[in-house]
Amino acid sequence: MTVMQKVIWSLLLWPCLQTVSIPLDCREDQGSLLRCPSISQEKLLDRVIQHAELIYRVSEESCSMFEEMFIPFELQLQRNQAGYACITKALPIPSSRSEIQLISDKWLLHSVLMLVQSWIEPLVYLQTSLNLYDVAPDTLLNKTKWVSEKLISLEQGVVVLIKKMLDEGLLTTNNSEQGLFQYDAQPEMLESVMRDYTLLSCFKKDAHKMETFLKLLKCRQTDKYNCA
Amino acid sequence: MMKNVMEVLFLLMLLFTVHAKEKSYNPPEKPALTRCRSPEKETFTCWWEPGSDGGLPTTYALYYRKENSETVYECPDYHTAGENSCFFNKNDTSIWVNYNISVVAANALGRAFSDPVDIDVVYIVKPNPPEKLKVAVMEDKGWPFLRVSWEPPHKADTRSGWITLIYELRVRLEEEDDWEMHLAGQQKMFNIFSLRSGGKYLVEVRCKPDHGFWSEWSSTSYINVPDYFPREKSMWILVAAFSAFIFLILTWLLHMNTHRLKHCILPPVPGPKIKGFDKQLLKNGKSDEFFSALVVPNFPEASPSKYEDMLVVEFFEVKEQELMLEESNDLLDGGLKYESSRSDSDSGRGSCDSHTLLLDKCREAKEERQTNRDGSLIEKQIRQKDRKEEAISPDISSGRVKTWPSLYSPLPQYGSNPLDKQSSLEMAKQHSLSISSFLTQPGTKDALGLSYMDFCLSNKQNHVHPQTQVQTRSNVNISNIGHKHAPAGLHSPTTQYVEVQRVNKEDMVLLQPVLSRCGLIEDCPHLPKGEDYSKVKGVDYDNRLLLQREGTGEDMCSGMDQETNGERGNCYTTSTVSIMQKPTACIYTVMPIQEGMALTLNGYVDTANMGNLPSC
Repeated sequence: MTVMQKVIWSLLLWPCLQTVSIPLDCREDQGSLLRCPSISQEKLLDRVIQHAELIYRVSEESCSMFEEMFIPFELQLQRNQAGYACITKALPIPSSRSEIQLISDKWLLHSVLMLVQSWIEPLVYLQTSLNLYDVAPDTLLNKTKWVSEKLISLEQGVVVLIKKMLDEGLLTTNNSEQGLFQYDAQPEMLESVMRDYTLLSCFKKDAHKMETFLKLLKCRQTDKYNCA
Repeated sequence: MMKNVMEVLFLLMLLFTVHAKEKSYNPPEKPALTRCRSPEKETFTCWWEPGSDGGLPTTYALYYRKENSETVYECPDYHTAGENSCFFNKNDTSIWVNYNISVVAANALGRAFSDPVDIDVVYIVKPNPPEKLKVAVMEDKGWPFLRVSWEPPHKADTRSGWITLIYELRVRLEEEDDWEMHLAGQQKMFNIFSLRSGGKYLVEVRCKPDHGFWSEWSSTSYINVPDYFPREKSMWILVAAFSAFIFLILTWLLHMNTHRLKHCILPPVPGPKIKGFDKQLLKNGKSDEFFSALVVPNFPEASPSKYEDMLVVEFFEVKEQELMLEESNDLLDGGLKYESSRSDSDSGRGSCDSHTLLLDKCREAKEERQTNRDGSLIEKQIRQKDRKEEAISPDISSGRVKTWPSLYSPLPQYGSNPLDKQSSLEMAKQHSLSISSFLTQPGTKDALGLSYMDFCLSNKQNHVHPQTQVQTRSNVNISNIGHKHAPAGLHSPTTQYVEVQRVNKEDMVLLQPVLSRCGLIEDCPHLPKGEDYSKVKGVDYDNRLLLQREGTGEDMCSGMDQETNGERGNCYTTSTVSIMQKPTACIYTVMPIQEGMALTLNGYVDTANMGNLPSC
């Protein structure tokens, strides 16, 4: 191709080059201030909601699988025995419809972010714990692994969303969140099983919370007065 | 007396106690929480089952405790949801929070605590059934289908995403019992296909949150599906009409080709095509009459010609060896001998005698002869006393005088009777041509030309192959018969087999050299390929068969006018040696038979000696 042709082609394709050069998912380090001009806020929110839905579904499957295999029927009803309370119970998260109706968008988003960030580490622990089982099926392990990975990307998405929607600055990962989760180094078998079960069921619940909050948020974007 | 009083008192006390026991009061039995349900994830209700109340009025109280606190609350509303129930309104309902609920039954004598139950409102959602179910019949390219639409229960807040519902519907015909289930996902509309025409359908729908319980089925909707049968019928009518049309066409085609099919399936038996042959006479059994009828005036020719002998000689020569093999009673007529020659069924005989051809071919030929001899027996019988020849070619029998009859085959007569042979020749000539250009002059060059045509009928035909080898080899016997002019130069009989290609409208016989035989053999040195056939131009007044050669190939100067002037022949051919030549039409007249002349008696020109001849 002659030089002239090249120049013309490059001029024609310039917009494409522009778009290609910027990644769509905007998954950069949390320290960067880069915005993602290529994706709209609505689409981003939709994508985040899809993520949350998927995470919830997979976590539900994992929990029921675990329950079937390892938890005798009698113990299934007593999920919140003392000592196995959900790790996120201390978080200031709205827990009733009326409460949720009262809080603002910002607070919804922040609640979601808090939840997500507080679960990243425990899921890693859960993964290592499950690997120690002799009879844990591969599907269960794969699911939990998938969930922990997806959670990280969900976090990134929420961070970007916060930037977009709230025009806030970066939120650094809260190291203080790590304090929520403490575990013994060498738990007993039964304790370990119960702990894992509690983790799974609590996570399942929290995943549902995330999903619900995000959906509410979406509803508020479109129709502020009729949503909850 | 005291004893009596004591006894009476004792009895009375017993009576009292008995009486008292019938009406004993007990503390209540333990109640049991049966279920807790939330219709929209915003409120929920719990029901319990009371035990026996112990005869005393018993009160029930429900207490609950949330997961994170130790505070015990009592049920806020015992009445909204009915008896033995507790209703938690919006303000009291926390989602994602575990409730520890228990019921206490109390009466004057005591209390009973039920087993506690842990619930999370999120997991006990059972929505109300969907509402406003609508069913309509719609058409898609002529085929109807049902369009079902509905709305979520009004209490469930699906719009804001608080609850996500999935739907399921079921359909059945009125007279049937089994339902057909369809999962519709999150959509609120569904199409049902594959309906039965003219039926009445029942449709119901229900819903479920992503984690929770299925709702009850909604109220039934009825719908009538109209008839749409005519569509199917018209298609069948079209199919029937089309097949009838095809059938008619096939019948017509069959009818048009009956003739051909008949020939294909049942090839006709060749009948006698002998002039004067009368089936009836034969049937009558009077052979005399029959044979006399066969006699044709002017036959045989009285005037002999010197060429006859020559002709005869040739014949003899060719088939002389075969004579031995023939039946002894074969000497009936020369005319009949062709049968045997016919039975030889191959022109290979001649070629076998030919020096130029391979021996293998001879063997083949001999075998063929053997096989075909029997076939010709019957025919022989018929012709025993006669010199007529029958058309061998089935084509003739079929009425199409397309090929020359194998009359020519009889030419190689090797009977001991030259005269017979002559006559047979004449006969052959006579009968060969059903056309006017029949050669009447016996033994004329014309006859030669005609008679020496070979047949190379395909092997497909069961008939004998009347391939008579045209042999142009001189033989000692020839001289015995007293013929001079034995064609000497026939050592290398390039035997050419001619087959009658066809007889065209102008009464022209188109000859074509038989190549099949040669085609089988690798080296047929003297048989040029791609030969042309000589075309019979006509018969002139002298009873000469005029042939004209077309195209390349051997020239066949069969128009032999040897009668009068041997010098007259100006049979010229193009150089015959070359295989491929430009097609030229050469007209031959008689070529005088000369010593060394390559012209064979049968009218073929021996290519080997064509040098003498002028070329066209």
